[in-house]
Amino acid sequence: MTKRLVQGNEAVLLGAIKAGATYFAGYPISPSSEILAQASVYAASHPEFRFLQEEDEIASANAILGGSLAGAKSFTATSGPGFSLMQEAIGYGHKVGIPCVIINVMRVGPGTGMPTMPGQGDLNQTRYGSTGDYTSIVFYPSTVAECYEYTIHAFNAAEESRSPVIILSDAFLGHLNEVADLDTIDVPVIPRTLEPLAKGSTRLFSGVATYADGEPATADADEYIRQYHESRDHRLKVAEKYAFHEYGWNKDAETLVIAFGITRRVAQPLAPHFALFRPIRIWPTLDKELTEVAARYKKIIVIEGSDGQYANVVERMLLRRVERVPLLGGRMSLEAIREGLDAIGMLPAESEPSGSPATAGSHRVG
Amino acid sequence: MAVKDKLKTDLFPTIWCPGCGIGLIMQQLATVMDDLGLDKLNTVLITGIGCTGRMGAYMNFESVYTLHGRTLPVAEAIKMVRPELNVIVVSGDGDTASIGGNHLLHSIRRNPNITVICNNNEIYGLTGGQTGPTTPQGTNTISSPAGATYSPINLQGLVNTNPNSYYAKTTVYHQGPMRKAIKEAIEWPGFAFVDVASQCIENNGRRIGFSSANDMLQSYRTEYKAAPPGSTHLEPHQTGIVKGQVPAAAVPDTGPAGAAPDNGKN
Repeated sequence: MTKRLVQGNEAVLLGAIKAGATYFAGYPISPSSEILAQASVYAASHPEFRFLQEEDEIASANAILGGSLAGAKSFTATSGPGFSLMQEAIGYGHKVGIPCVIINVMRVGPGTGMPTMPGQGDLNQTRYGSTGDYTSIVFYPSTVAECYEYTIHAFNAAEESRSPVIILSDAFLGHLNEVADLDTIDVPVIPRTLEPLAKGSTRLFSGVATYADGEPATADADEYIRQYHESRDHRLKVAEKYAFHEYGWNKDAETLVIAFGITRRVAQPLAPHFALFRPIRIWPTLDKELTEVAARYKKIIVIEGSDGQYANVVERMLLRRVERVPLLGGRMSLEAIREGLDAIGMLPAESEPSGSPATAGSHRVG
Repeated sequence: MAVKDKLKTDLFPTIWCPGCGIGLIMQQLATVMDDLGLDKLNTVLITGIGCTGRMGAYMNFESVYTLHGRTLPVAEAIKMVRPELNVIVVSGDGDTASIGGNHLLHSIRRNPNITVICNNNEIYGLTGGQTGPTTPQGTNTISSPAGATYSPINLQGLVNTNPNSYYAKTTVYHQGPMRKAIKEAIEWPGFAFVDVASQCIENNGRRIGFSSANDMLQSYRTEYKAAPPGSTHLEPHQTGIVKGQVPAAAVPDTGPAGAAPDNGKN
């Protein structure tokens, strides 16, 4: 029970270790590199924890698939461009059903982008980045303590869903130092669900569509649909247990603000003027929870670090117009939010200049 | 146990074209596995995309049919997590040396105790016969109608950039030497690469003038000659083995903590 300063990236690593992770493969990229560096330090004094700095992110993502199949809870950490390189392997993990965790500490893209300004532009990439149809489970914490907590949940969800689960973070949150007592966070750890390699079976783990006996099923639509529905339904069902979100601030306001990750923190001074809905589980979307909350508000504003990636999701989900405050180019600031609100004519007249304690009544699920 | 027990013969005939060389590699691999006592409890197979990748489906082992080019990161991770396992990679030249080239470079550098068996047919066979990284310069392929523009990659040279590595060149015609090379490679306490010239009659051989798979096999007999004993470098169309020094870390009793001198291979 020790309160101390913890960095967001460090908290993610500690969460992984708490969850029982014993294999890390990664490649340096800002702003995620502390996770790699601290994993190497941890490995040096814990021989049961295997560590490899890879030649690139393609190797990293494929290596954690191998590490997981071999029996180790496995993870990697990266940022936008590296996450792009991992997409094919993530799809493979979904196809084959391999539990693992990928941490994406977002910066501003596309391309090499703005190293290392904070961004939130990888939401669609976590859902649609790989080829084909698959069902992603993605969490995005908002505080350093949550980085620890939801990383443990991510490993649990990976085991239950048998799929790669993504933890989103960002340059701001990853490098944020906050006082936290991680020992007080108690998340039960789910043990391995996949039989490790070479324990007596003769399984074929195949990214190619196959029948149970390993023969190719590459031209059998019925078999494809059966397998796809089976994995999709299973993962959606697992995700229901992880429907993490926060609903609070001024619930009696006329307008609902949707913000997540670090943006929710930056928007905190708006608390007296708006209700807040914060999805922590980004994918699958929280349709039931958000639809129910949104029905109580005349207007909805999505404040996010991309040009409408989540706003588009909310519009499609609710079939109603939502206002947008995109925070682009790394401008994750209250000033930028105010400018954005002003641009859509929704800046509160008596907007307080700084932090408000008006969080009474806020509750977090998960 | 018998060689046959290493194979899922109930899935035969295989998907490979009549006359393909891959089955000849699988047969010798199964023989060596039987000789060395390799079974589903001590050995895993990692294969890549391409015709060769199907081999894992036909063998009585746990097998990971990886993405195109990604055998080595998967294999190395498995070896790191489970050092007691024999990890055997079987893949084609395109998968290994082209799309997987960066991993090959770095696996050679790191020298993990894994074995790579490369079905080197000098062509992208599964996709219909395009130029590969090993296609000889001037070869007519469906993506080089005027002849392949560039020299093939030097696999021996790459592997031997690590003084502790093992490189063997053999062909599917030379069954005895191939068996010896595979056996030694599995026993080698570090990165071992067996480069097997192998015919793809359907999507390469006929185009370049062979009338049958047997013609191609016979060409290996006439074109490839064994390198003189003690050779430290193989010339083109020489078969043989170039061994580096046994890495110190792999010598039993003197290895550092975490090394796995008793890897169950012997």
